[in-house]
Amino acid sequence: MADFTIEYPGTLAEALSFLDPDDPSVRPVGGGTALMLMMKSQMFHPTRLVCLSRLSEPMTGCREDGDHIRIGAMTTLSQVEHSALIAAEFPVIHNAMKNLANVRVRNVATIGGNLAHGDPHLDLPPIWAALGAEAIIHGPSGQRSVKVEDLFQGYYETDVADGELITEIRVPRLPGWRATYRKVTTRALHDWPAIGLTLAARFDGDRIADIRLVLSAAVDIPQRLRGAEEVLRGHRPDAMLLARAGDSAAAEAPMEHDSRGSVDYKVHLLKVHILRGMNEIGKG
Amino acid sequence: MTTRHISFTLNGRAVTASVQPHENLIDMLTTAFGLRGARESCGQGLCGCCTVHVDGQAVSGCLFLADMAEGTRIDTIEGLGGADGTLDPVQQAFIDAGAFQCGFCTPGFVMMVKTLLADDPDPSDDTIRHYLSGNLCRCSAYPEIVAATKLAARRIAAEGRP
Repeated sequence: MADFTIEYPGTLAEALSFLDPDDPSVRPVGGGTALMLMMKSQMFHPTRLVCLSRLSEPMTGCREDGDHIRIGAMTTLSQVEHSALIAAEFPVIHNAMKNLANVRVRNVATIGGNLAHGDPHLDLPPIWAALGAEAIIHGPSGQRSVKVEDLFQGYYETDVADGELITEIRVPRLPGWRATYRKVTTRALHDWPAIGLTLAARFDGDRIADIRLVLSAAVDIPQRLRGAEEVLRGHRPDAMLLARAGDSAAAEAPMEHDSRGSVDYKVHLLKVHILRGMNEIGKG
Repeated sequence: MTTRHISFTLNGRAVTASVQPHENLIDMLTTAFGLRGARESCGQGLCGCCTVHVDGQAVSGCLFLADMAEGTRIDTIEGLGGADGTLDPVQQAFIDAGAFQCGFCTPGFVMMVKTLLADDPDPSDDTIRHYLSGNLCRCSAYPEIVAATKLAARRIAAEGRP
């Protein structure tokens, strides 16, 4: 393996000064779990890693901020998993943690690294997208925010430029919304999912007042299923309607076949899990 | 190759080591300290054979840059037993329950069970399976491993020590 250096900045400004807008071989590192895999498989050859472990708040921890919750990018998945605030505000995130990798990886992997990795098989990015979260990004020209829904630009490609890093995730509190993430693995639980489907909805009586559906894993980037949302919005989720939503979702999702299943198979899974997911959150 | 000298606490002792940037914790524990209990097996954080504790938390040593160990407290399977050779209650329970055949995965399982019992001294079957879901035993001693975990929990509760 080629030589590289590892820096440990003590401040955000120092961290940014170590990054290089013109050099993709200089990368910020959270826990390093995903990056280590890419380095081991020779996918990534760094010249400099900028380890963010010495940065403190707002890069760490979960806190309330008016009608939003903010999560520092360096907060580990375990810290989010065991946060009473997150469990109360976003049970869908809390529940997803238990089936995400394993205890050891969650102890090290970070919320920001998980987003910046840009892998469409990951469990949390599509959930953040469905919750309407945004990533706060710092770079040479200051701070900006991007909705998680718009963060991903291709397979392992994100809107985060070289020279920038994600500092926080900002999630709107969603009173009255119910959400679920269905991780559909076809072999072992800890396999990559064949499809991931996040359903988040607000009900008005027995009608769906508003809904967001995000498909992941079978697609290049986590993707809103806007056609299916349109079918469902404003209506009672009976079997006929859910079948129509499933057809619409299947038509709009550019799914890929791989070792976890054919496109036909994944289309079937998608339809089934729209039905099961709506039944799950519809019950309240 | 850039070599850096790092200081940390290894099984209760202050130590220093020379590490290269690409080395992971297992590389360092093996080459610098001759500790071979934690093994790199799958190399992807899935199998748990490389489980060590960093600042009291279980991690996959194969996915943890050695350089990042600076200033931390690292505990490995070699540090579990007493200086007089007595075994940790978890180690003894694995022997008494017959919770291994070849033993390759055992140090990783024992270190995960230590974490589990620190978090939950009286774990349910579900909790045991959840904590150990990232540890693979290819001899398939899983029923005995669950039994060993419960045996260790009972003994630790009876003795009133961690």
